[in-house]
This record gives sequence, C-alpha cells and structure tokens, in this order.
Amino acid sequence: MSTETTQTKTRIEYDDTPVRQFMIASIFWGIIGMLVGVLVATQLGVWQANFKTSWLTFGRLRPLHTNAVIFAFVGNMMFAGVYYSTQRLVKARIASKLLSRIHFWGWQLIIVAAAITLPLGLTRGKEYAELIWPINIAVALIWVVFAVNFFWTLARRNEPTLYVAIWFYIATIITVAMLYIVNHLSIPTSWTHSYPIFGGVQDALVQWWYGHNAVAFFLTTPILGIMYYFLPKAAERPVYSYRLSIVHFWSLVFIYIWAGPHHLLNTSLPVWLQSLGMIFSLMLWAPSWGGMLNGLLTLRGAWHKLRTEPVLKFFVAAVTFYGMATFEGPLMSIRSVNALSHYTDWTIAHVHGGALGWNGFMAAGMFYWLAPRLWKRPLHSTSAANMHFWLGTVGILIYMASMYVSGITQGLMLGATKEGGTVLAYPNFIEVVTSTKMLMHIRALGGLMYLVGFVMLAWNVWKTARGAEIVNGSVEVYVPEKSAGMGLGGGFINAPVIYTTLLIVFAAGWGALPGAGSSFCIFGLIATAAIMSMSFEFSKAGWNDWYERLLANAVPFTALTAVSVFIGGLVQIIPTVMVNTGASIEGMRQIPYTPLELAGRDIYIREGCYNCHSQQIRTLVGDVLRYGEYSKLGESIYDHPYQWGSKRIGPDLAREGGKYPHSWHFFHMRDPRQISPGSTMPDYPWLFTDKTDTAALPNKIAVQRKIGVPYGPMTDVEIQQACDTQAAAIAAELKTAGAEVPPEREIVALISYLQKLGKAEKVTHAETPKTAAN
Amino acid sequence: MFHRILVEEWQRLLSAVSITLFFTVFIINLIRVRRIPRETVSHLENLPLENDDHDRTR
Repeated sequence: MSTETTQTKTRIEYDDTPVRQFMIASIFWGIIGMLVGVLVATQLGVWQANFKTSWLTFGRLRPLHTNAVIFAFVGNMMFAGVYYSTQRLVKARIASKLLSRIHFWGWQLIIVAAAITLPLGLTRGKEYAELIWPINIAVALIWVVFAVNFFWTLARRNEPTLYVAIWFYIATIITVAMLYIVNHLSIPTSWTHSYPIFGGVQDALVQWWYGHNAVAFFLTTPILGIMYYFLPKAAERPVYSYRLSIVHFWSLVFIYIWAGPHHLLNTSLPVWLQSLGMIFSLMLWAPSWGGMLNGLLTLRGAWHKLRTEPVLKFFVAAVTFYGMATFEGPLMSIRSVNALSHYTDWTIAHVHGGALGWNGFMAAGMFYWLAPRLWKRPLHSTSAANMHFWLGTVGILIYMASMYVSGITQGLMLGATKEGGTVLAYPNFIEVVTSTKMLMHIRALGGLMYLVGFVMLAWNVWKTARGAEIVNGSVEVYVPEKSAGMGLGGGFINAPVIYTTLLIVFAAGWGALPGAGSSFCIFGLIATAAIMSMSFEFSKAGWNDWYERLLANAVPFTALTAVSVFIGGLVQIIPTVMVNTGASIEGMRQIPYTPLELAGRDIYIREGCYNCHSQQIRTLVGDVLRYGEYSKLGESIYDHPYQWGSKRIGPDLAREGGKYPHSWHFFHMRDPRQISPGSTMPDYPWLFTDKTDTAALPNKIAVQRKIGVPYGPMTDVEIQQACDTQAAAIAAELKTAGAEVPPEREIVALISYLQKLGKAEKVTHAETPKTAAN
Repeated sequence: MFHRILVEEWQRLLSAVSITLFFTVFIINLIRVRRIPRETVSHLENLPLENDDHDRTR
C-alpha cells in the first residue's frame, strides 16, 4: 500500500482479557439457552413438562430460549471474535480497558435481567424483542459502549486499510443500533410495562424488518466477519477471492434490509410490500452463495486438513449450513412456497439449520481455535472435539429432519381440502397436533445430542484452561505516517458518489414520473452516463484513489454503510405508516377494547400465547375455510403490539370471539385436554386464583390514547366500574354453565378478550372511529 | 410507457425504484472491484495471516 511508508517500529500487546471473558460467557449461556431449548421442545410433545407452573410454561420459556441463544450465546461469541480479530487486523490494542469491562459486565447483567423477567411474564409481546423497556435502554447504552470502544480502536490503528471483516463489524454495529431502537420505540405505562408506538400492520412490518434483520445483522454479518478472519487463519491461506468478498459485503448489506416483509406473505400487509420482500429475498441468493463459496474455496489445497483438524471441520460444516439456510430462505420467500411453509415447523427447521449449524458450529470452531492460544496450551482433547463435531452434526440432522417432516405434514394437512376445494380434509386442528407428536420427541432428542456436544466443548476448554498461563498476544508493528483523512464530507462529495446518485435519481424518475418529467429523466440518465464514462477514462486514478482512501477511512465508510441500510428501512416503513393511518383499512375497522378486555389482552401477552397462536387469517383457501373471512388491514389497527404471530402450534384466533361460550374457554384454560383430547397446551391454574390488575388500567388507557387508540374520556372510577360490570356479567354467565369463579379473577378478563377477537365494524371513509364501549 | 403500467398505486413504484437502485449500486460496485490494483488485493487478503506470538504458542 502506498500509505505504508514505514517509520518507527513498536511492540503492541493485545488485550485478550475481554476475548476470554466473552468466550466463557458464550459457552455458559449457550448451554443454558440450549437446555431451555430442549425443555421447550419436550413440552411440545409432553404437556406435563410445563409443570403447571406459570414461569415454566412454553409461552414464557420459548422467548427465554430464543433470547438466550441469540443475544447471550451468539452475542457473547460475536464480541469475543470481534475483539480478537479487530485488534490483530488493525494492529492496535483495544482502546479502553474500562469500556471493555463495562461492555462485558453490562451485557451479562442484561442477560441475567432477561433470564429473570421473561419467566415472570414481563414482556413486550414481540418476538426477539420481548425484553421490557428499562432493559431495552440498557441494551442500547451497552451497544453504544461497544461501538465507542470499537471505533476508538479503529482510530488508533497501525494498519491503514480496513480488511473486509472490519466492514462486516461496522455494518453490524450501525444496523443493529438502528433496528433495535426503531422496533423498541414504546411508551411506558409502568416500570415493567409499555406499549409500542406502532400498531397493527405498522407494528407487524417494523417487527419483521427488525426480526429478519436481527438474523441478518446479528446472526449473519458479524459471523461472516469472523469467518473472513478465522477461516483463512485456520486454513493458513488467504480468502479465495478478496474481490468477491467486497461484492459479497455491499450486496448483502444493501439487499438484506429489504427482505423483512417475506415474514408476512399472504397476510393483510399491502401486496406491494409483499412483492418487495419476495423479490429482494430471491436476490439474496446471489450474495449469500457468493460468500459461502468464498468461504469453502478458501480451503483450496487444504482439504486434507479436514481429516485431522476439528476446527476446520466445524468451520466447513458451518459454512455449508450457511449455504443451505441461505438457499432455503429465498425459497421460502416465494409466496406459493410460503403458503405451505409458513406457520409450520418448516420454519423451525430452517432457523435451526442457521442457528445450530451456522452460528453454533462457527462458535465451536472459533472456540477450539482460540482456547490453545488464549491459554498457551494445546487443546486438552482433539478426539473429544471430533466427537463433539459428529454428535452435533447428527443432532442437527435429526432435529431438522423431524421438523421438515412435521412442518410439511402440518402445511399439507391444514391446507388440504376435499369436495372440489369446498370442505377441509382435516377440519379438527387437533388431528395435526396428534399426527406430529412423535416428531416432537425426535426433535428433543436431536437438540439434546447437540447440547451434549456443547457440554463436551465446555469440559474441553475448561481442561485446557485450568492451571494454564493466561497469555495476551503481542506483535511488532510499524507505526505508519498519519495520512490526511478524507473526512465525512470527502466520503460523499466526490465523483463516484455524485454520479451514482444522479444515475439512481434519473433512473427512478424515468420509471416514476409522467410525461415531460420522464423524458427529462431519460435525457439526464444518458447525459450522466456519457459524462461519467468520459470522466472515467480521464480520471481512473481519481476513482481508484477515492476508493482506496475510503478503505482507509472508517468514518465515511461507516456513513455510506448506514445510508445503504437506511434507504431500505425508509422505503418500507414510511409508506406503511401512511397507509395504516389513512383510509386504506379495507372497509373494516377494529372496535377498541374495553378496559377489561385490554387487561385480558395484557394477560394473553404475558403468557406468550402468540408463541403458539396466530391472529391473522391469510388469503389462502385453507385458512379461510378453517377460520373464516381473511383478515383485513383495519381489523388489528389498534393492536399495540400486533399479535399476528409466526407459528401455529394451536389454531389461529383472529376470529375466536363468539365462536364458543364463555364456559368453553373457562374449562379449556383449566384443563385443555378436557375440551380437546390430545392437546399439548399447558394448564393455566393461576389464572383462576390471581386477581386482574385493574389498578394499572388508567395509565394503560392514557398511553393507548397517546398512541392513537380512540378511547373517550374516562375517569379512574369509570374505568373500574366498566371492568366490574363486564366482569360480573361474564362471571354470571359462567355460573349458569357450572363454572363458578369470582369476577375479579384473571380468567374472566382473559375470556372477555378472547371473546372480543375478530370484532370489527364495517366503515366507509367518512365515518369517525367508534370509541371503546363500556 | 413503463410508468403507466405501474402508477396506479404510488407505493408500487417503490419495487421498481428499489431494484433500479440496487442494480445501479451493484454494477458500479462490480466495476470498482475489478479495478482494484492487484497489490492492494494481495495486501488486504494477507492481513489475517500476519501472525502474532499467539500463533507460535500452540
């Protein structure tokens, strides 16, 4: 590099303490997260494993499992990998020991807080975003600490250029911050409860823009950065194609952010957004496979090492699973395929291919590679590491195979019709549950094998580290001359960026504008292309220089990355916000909940019912025949948070209201098998003894009003009276059916909510919304 | 002609705009990547392989 004119030589000792800490934390929380995973998998086959205990039910533990695996296991692993590789790639010690400590201990405290609050039912009711608002703020603050420490380290670097792994880390830091903050925008009603500012379709879109990109920018981009560092290290040869890694980075970062709507296909999400999600998901095939092949081909000439090196075995299997998951993801984003796969265990197979195969095996490979270096001692047992590999691989295959069979069975049975497509072939949902029950046991077995493998890893690392010397890496580096930075402005105000922007604007205007505007844009497009090609010839050096300086200047690089991810978010969210608040509610508008129904809804969310029951009837024959008229956009407009769900372990509840008498719900919640033999739903005995929290309602209703739900003016006394009257009426009706319960019990509030589901009014645009009836 | 097909709902234009946007960025990126000097690539791809004393402790 031209900038590497050498001057003084100095020795740097890296700070590997946070690497060791995050690695140990990742192994510890990984085992906890997987253990909870095995328990929830068991609960799906054996309902008794819910233990009739509120904090051990599936609905509360499943969020604990997902959060623990994503944020605790992969999060800690990512931080270990980032801190280790960044120091070496930029030849600088981590900038601040204090910030590293705050980062590490802050993150662990967040995990402990999550592990306590989630089983207690303190949740925001949105998948992978369940943590309550004070913890959300802590996450944002600790993320900022991480970002400051990372960028400060880059600022002190002794290597002028930024290796592609660093790019992936930058994209992760920027994008996760953006996604997390937007999806967690809420207004608190108490220290442990809040309502998200988005509702209905807006909330669904923002949630899956976040949820999908949590996969993209928390579980994929940082791990790809880790792959681009550790795989060449382990294979002892450079990455197959550095040029391909650049194309991989920009394409992935640019496309991934648009693909979120593929989680909402065939729903009441506007069709243009569904198409956008599907098209961009299909486009993801190319960069994902480019990256996957780049990883695998890095082993060119080194495949023989796989026979003896467990690290490489894990890495190669991980990259292969990445390839499989990123092949399957676009496939599942095709609307017709999604009609079969969505709401079934197919999705579960897919995500576990990614989580266990890609994330888990990358973590294992990295830990086996790091342990001998961090503790200056050979790995205690290579054969145990090999055994871990085979146990884990077979475990994943058993898990995924059972989930594919289960998922396709569910999809086919639930959509099957007879008599010319007019009657459901399997009208009773429970038939699907019972026919896939054995597969739940097999799945738990696969998960258990994978867990045992990780326990072996923990043992192996413990034996390697015990009594060993703790060693920080050190290296001699040349301190380069400070080159003049290009500054933030320099990143944007230059020929390549200006030409690109003009081309995009004119091309978009050509397609979008009518008449003269369109002609002008065609002219502008041709003129820009002509000027650009001329300037390109004359100033090749200028273009090259700009890009090379960009590689060496973190600030403008970060800003350009941010722009590319912001665009995708804005294009999706701004129009949806406008659509939902405007007249487009498809002729149906939800009737707001009464105070008691709102309290019941909060109980529904607390128990995590959305983990098993959707509230969205898709525009599909099977759905409409089974559950009634498909869901309209306006029918969940006041739902903060939305509850469309992502999985049907039980039936959809969008039109549950009025389907059964109050007593049906009473007996069903007390013992589901009494009403529905073969059901795997837990018993909820505490709902019959605990009192409904009506004291919190005035605050909750005030916040609902703030976020746009049309509640009329009500005093605290009126709210209480409204609750009492409705609860008394439900309790009286229950009594006549032989189900006696005091009206202040939670079951009564929950029944009031369940009976409200699907109640909407037909509207014309001129009508004003109905306020909550007492 | 193009816009007359698509302009019934303005949001629908966004799919076309998005794809235009992506392909423009993608093609410029491809051109750019092809033009990176060989020695720059060689320097960058070898960055992870520069060893520190950790790599001599196994």
